[in-house]
Amino acid sequence: MIPHALLILVAAPFVAALILLAVPQRMRLVTRLVSLSAALISAGLSVWVAASWDMARGGFQFDERYPVVPSLGIEMHLAANGWSAALLVLTGLIIVGGVLASWTQERRDQEFYMLLLVLVAGVFGVFVCQDLFILFLFYEIAVLPMYILIGIWGSQGKVEPRGPFKFVYEFLDVGGREYAAMKLTLMLLVGSAAILVAILALYSEAGGTTFDMIALARHHFDPATQKLYFPMVWLGFGALAGVFPFHTWSPDGHAAAPTAVSMLHAGVLMKLGAFGVMRVGMVLMPEGAIAWAPIVGGVAVINIVYGAFGAMGQKDLKYIVAYSSVSHMGVVMLGAATLTVDGWNGAIFQMVAHGVMTGLFFALVGLIYGKTHTRWVPKMGGFGRIMPGIASFFTLASLSSLALPGTAGFIAELLVFIGAWQSGHPVWAVAGAAGAFITAVYVLRAVKRIFWGEGPSEEFAKLGDAKHVEWGALVLLGAAILVFGFWPAPILDLIDATSTRLVQALYPLVLAVNP
Amino acid sequence: MSLPIELALVALFTPAAMAVILALVPPLRRTGRPAAWLSVLAASISLGASVWLFADQLGHPSRDLLESVRWLPHAGAAMANVGLRIDGISAGMTLVVTLVAFCVQVFSLDYMRSEPAADLGRYFTYHSFFIFSMLLLVLAPNLLQLFFGWELVGLTSYLLIGFYFKKPSAAKAAVKAFWVTKLADTGLLLALVVLYTHTGGFEWTSHPGAEVATIITLLLFVAVMGKSAQFPLHVWLPDAMEGPTPVSALLHAATMVAAGVYLIVRTNPLFAQAEFTREVMVWIGSFTAVFAAVIACVQTDIKKVLAYSTCSQLGYMVAALGAGSVMGGYFHLTTHAFFKALLFLAAGSVIHAVHSNEMSDMGGLWKRMKLTTIVFVIGSVSLAGIPGLAGFFSKDLILEGMLESGHTVPWLMLLGAAFLTAFYMGRVLFTAFFGELSEKAKHAHEGGWEMQLPLVLLAIPALGAGYFASRFAGMWHLEYELHLNLEAGAASGLAILGFAVAYVMYGRGAPVATPAILRPIAKLAASGVLDRFYEGLYRVLGLKLAGAVGFFDRYVVDGLMNLSGYLALTAGQKLRRLQSGNVRDYVFVVAFAIFALSAFGILR
Repeated sequence: MIPHALLILVAAPFVAALILLAVPQRMRLVTRLVSLSAALISAGLSVWVAASWDMARGGFQFDERYPVVPSLGIEMHLAANGWSAALLVLTGLIIVGGVLASWTQERRDQEFYMLLLVLVAGVFGVFVCQDLFILFLFYEIAVLPMYILIGIWGSQGKVEPRGPFKFVYEFLDVGGREYAAMKLTLMLLVGSAAILVAILALYSEAGGTTFDMIALARHHFDPATQKLYFPMVWLGFGALAGVFPFHTWSPDGHAAAPTAVSMLHAGVLMKLGAFGVMRVGMVLMPEGAIAWAPIVGGVAVINIVYGAFGAMGQKDLKYIVAYSSVSHMGVVMLGAATLTVDGWNGAIFQMVAHGVMTGLFFALVGLIYGKTHTRWVPKMGGFGRIMPGIASFFTLASLSSLALPGTAGFIAELLVFIGAWQSGHPVWAVAGAAGAFITAVYVLRAVKRIFWGEGPSEEFAKLGDAKHVEWGALVLLGAAILVFGFWPAPILDLIDATSTRLVQALYPLVLAVNP
Repeated sequence: MSLPIELALVALFTPAAMAVILALVPPLRRTGRPAAWLSVLAASISLGASVWLFADQLGHPSRDLLESVRWLPHAGAAMANVGLRIDGISAGMTLVVTLVAFCVQVFSLDYMRSEPAADLGRYFTYHSFFIFSMLLLVLAPNLLQLFFGWELVGLTSYLLIGFYFKKPSAAKAAVKAFWVTKLADTGLLLALVVLYTHTGGFEWTSHPGAEVATIITLLLFVAVMGKSAQFPLHVWLPDAMEGPTPVSALLHAATMVAAGVYLIVRTNPLFAQAEFTREVMVWIGSFTAVFAAVIACVQTDIKKVLAYSTCSQLGYMVAALGAGSVMGGYFHLTTHAFFKALLFLAAGSVIHAVHSNEMSDMGGLWKRMKLTTIVFVIGSVSLAGIPGLAGFFSKDLILEGMLESGHTVPWLMLLGAAFLTAFYMGRVLFTAFFGELSEKAKHAHEGGWEMQLPLVLLAIPALGAGYFASRFAGMWHLEYELHLNLEAGAASGLAILGFAVAYVMYGRGAPVATPAILRPIAKLAASGVLDRFYEGLYRVLGLKLAGAVGFFDRYVVDGLMNLSGYLALTAGQKLRRLQSGNVRDYVFVVAFAIFALSAFGILR
């Protein structure tokens, strides 16, 4: 037993960020090593938590409590259920990959790493925090650094003014990095406001004595209250999960963000949203969830299909990946909406699968951009000749994206579709499967256009494959895709233990509504 | 663990380990020939284990072994297992797969000799991975694992068709193959979902009721149509010939495309419950058999002839399974694997010698390549179903099964296809191997021993496999009896007639002109109506819609978001005027407010 394991896990990146304040700017290697150590400590502890989480006991483990404001019932209550354990492992993988992927970041690297570490501390915090108030705090800590990270280190774009709101586009600098940063932050903050209202409502409904979710889960909220506040939590957290139509921050934000930030944001931050919907919305307000499930599922299906078509229509590589995230997060929300064991297993597993897959994608896009200084797919072609390693990893990520067996994506989608059919919505399953096919169309088209065929043109002919540290993130995340795909049991057992228990609690309520 | 399980594990994991080693150790892979030899070594170990496994199974024909471990959890218990199921059916297919794969790898040693070392290593890595994927499918104890292998062989097919990825046509063909089969595989994925929802497992022996069984089998059949190239989802197979010829022999003739037929054989307990699906299979299979045979008659590329022939023969198998003749379908799969792999490798040997796929560049090869000609004749005659050779026995079984189940029209269609089969094979034989020596064939010569050995190895079963039909039937627990009756005679007679017509038309060294009655069909086939239809669908439903979604998302959904931001900003601009910093304005507002409020108070 490691004492204060979860606290150390959450605090390590934060402490490292403070240490970086004291490191002189010119000591670049030290900056990187401090960041990498913090990432490795957190990742190592995550794996340790997942490995020593007692499957037979289930429930919440590694309980730690630190009083914060006792008079209001606010305390930092850290504990991990199976879901947390699985998502900690994901976050650990992504942050280690992210630190490695930004190794060559030169401009203001120290501030960059500090913000990255603060952000990931917030992510770890959300996954293990059982106190709603502190959870909200961590959530904001995870979301806000994005504004600065994109605003300073982001890349510029430009959108041609067209469409019914042309005058708006002429007025705003749509596509620029400040625009992307501002849009992302504002949209997510509006979501946060809704969440905060719901949290305070639940707190006062339950007597105003505790923010502890485990205690709140035992309180039976009035069904009418649940039906009122569930959609606020769904859309509030859902904005971060890219729920349609509040997903539009995602393509611009991901496209503008620097590599490691895109990796973290699509890889883990979007999961915070979906996790919030499930952990706060569905577990605390089961009757609200049951009432709203058809709508949540229907919107998720829109996400899947609409996101996939959106990705097909893009020519900028980062936009393709960003829209594919919108589509794949739809699979997570669909799994959540099924309210079944298999669907929930699939939803959480899809968070892990999509996290490593999209992390790998963004790392690769970053590498390609770093070499070619373009993300414009039509300008590429024949890159398989000059960067065979990058081509192989890109193909691997694509295969996981289209849910090929042997990759993590397959297991997640299979479970979610099974859950959808079980929940009495065959249409969801069919539409989801169609989404997987559309994904196959656009990812293989991208692979063909970038890596196959004639080329590369003269301008790119001398470029090479990934080098040294650059392999780090690729190998780490690529291996994760294959390991989770071929042998999902270790992670899926953790998820299953928690889903089973939570769905069992939900089951009598589902039966009451839908015998 | 018993001996058969251990043997199957060796057969399965030796190539897998080799693929992993070659993939993870690039310096080894890039050595080229050493990597190729390692892969061949793995294939031969796998073949050895399969032979032993098969022999062992022959000794215990009724043995049915199952060994599995938990793979996916559900509520603390097992949702799905992975493992090995060894019975006569899987043991037989394992042998077929490893034998053909071994032959093809050995053949490739010489055929691919001129490839750059790094590409050669990549080629053999894919081949090793293919054996693993295919055996994963063949030995699967349940439908989920079968699907797993099914998709992995699809992946290797994609990678191998696109082996010459720098060539735009190869890149296009690979992606097309993946798209079409993936679209069809959506059916299999949904079949898994329905099967699990209704039976709580992925077993094909379950009884979900006739209606559900029909839905499941129809969904399965959609996947079969994609993988086994049944009309109208066959369009990827002719294009797949862009891959190296040994790949066409292994994946796109002998084994991978037959996976669809194998799937039906395995899941036959489900298909047996679904009469409607089987009826659909009979008609689609028979139609594909005739349709593809007709198109094969007008092709001038030797590989394309063989590709359409494969479509046609798969149609036979599907129709047979639909008619309930499992033995016919499965046995034809086996014999077809041998003679079609043989034909493709022989064609490869020819292409290697004359550096062209066009039959007009061949001609008179008999004078230069005796061995290749002999084995090609064996393959053709076997395929055409001339009595005494392997193809005769299996085709006869299918035709008999058709008639027994009362499907007279499909039976006639298949008889017609038998005639056409002999005709188009005769056409290839007489134009490519006999007659005058063509310009390009003048310097043709046989390949090295690596190319000759597999030809001989495959010619043996193509000749003689038919005589073991009853042994196979015993292993598969199926009925088998050979009836030499009038119907069998009709098929053989038509086959001989087909060769005779081909001889009359092409026997005296005539060029590969298309016969006059078939010219309209040739025109139609060359225009690629179906391809253009799919391409149109892709453009409209895919790209146009995607463009529309892109616009809608950028300028309408996001436009509304931007509009709200714009309104907030402009409202702020307007309201800002209120706070002008001018004292007179403030005094004015205060005075006005006092006046207004007092007026309100008085009037109230």
